[in-house]
Amino acid sequence: MTGVGEYVVVGAILFALGLVGFLSRRNLIVMFLSTELMFQGVVVNVVAFSRLHEHVDGQAFALFLLAIAAVEAGLALGLLVLLYRIRGTLDADAWSTMSG
Amino acid sequence: MTSALPQHAYALYAIFALGALGLYCLLPRTERARTIPGIVIGSSALIGLLLFLGIRIASPTSASVYFCIFSALAILGGVRVITHPKPVYSAVYFVLVVVAVAAMLILLQAEFLAAALIIIYAGAILVTYVFVIMLAQQSGRPTYDRRAREPFAAVLAGFILMAAVAGQVSTLPGSQDATSRSARMASDESLPAAADESADPLKGSNTAGMGVLLMTKYVIALEIAGLLLLISMVGAIALSKKRAASERIEEEARPIGQIGKEVKPF
Repeated sequence: MTGVGEYVVVGAILFALGLVGFLSRRNLIVMFLSTELMFQGVVVNVVAFSRLHEHVDGQAFALFLLAIAAVEAGLALGLLVLLYRIRGTLDADAWSTMSG
Repeated sequence: MTSALPQHAYALYAIFALGALGLYCLLPRTERARTIPGIVIGSSALIGLLLFLGIRIASPTSASVYFCIFSALAILGGVRVITHPKPVYSAVYFVLVVVAVAAMLILLQAEFLAAALIIIYAGAILVTYVFVIMLAQQSGRPTYDRRAREPFAAVLAGFILMAAVAGQVSTLPGSQDATSRSARMASDESLPAAADESADPLKGSNTAGMGVLLMTKYVIALEIAGLLLLISMVGAIALSKKRAASERIEEEARPIGQIGKEVKPF
């Protein structure tokens, strides 16, 4: 069977893709989709290590990760709708007044 | 194993550099599209990665073939999520990532989590995303979707992260250790197996093991997670309520002479 290192590599790639997407895209919705992509990478990692140590604890962590992802998605999307109503755009640069 | 670390790490560095270059070409830009070289470089990096992972897999079984298929699907879907100029398609490709990741979880013998991932992500979260996209997305192709912000710096950050991982990942147990482990487990099964049936929760039903663990060891964490969901629901409602109130205040605040004359409770 396949070892754990391969799964860790794939999880890290998913995480890095999410990081690149979050840093480079300017649409707020796509930015939050990128954070969900990072969550996927973390879930793969956690479950792979759970398999390595032959424990179910890692899978319990992954389940809590799913709960956190649901919380994050709900709040973030509520926030996005609020921001869109105020500025009428999903451009993240519309909110860059604090960056100077 | 440890002696073979440098070659592994250098091969991974090269593959990740190639992938970063392909990703840089594929990120949306307005001035000059470099889609074709991006696809060529990116797909060659993906093939190189799959070959590298395939070499690490000592004996090709059906599980390793499935792993290669689903990891390729997940990575392709992830690339499309962050490079597609239309957010709706990004969300659809994210469903592909979720399905591929769920398949990998099944390969890792986490069946319950795979089902939960499909139900929660592809079922609930993605529907909410698509709903918000339909609600808030401007018609046409706005300029902020067609031009990435600082693509080179972002790709460089991702490459540095992956390089840091690549230096460490070779020290993890690869396929050789796993095969010896599974061989050890197989030899264990020739022994009378009833002894460790209860000791190892991974044996028997995965769902039952998860349920027992969540209700015993992590019961407080489970309660806190439920509380957190409740708090986020309250927060989302409060956010939308605040919006209505602030908009009303903003509308009334426009005539300057009116400011401060009348204060309405919201």
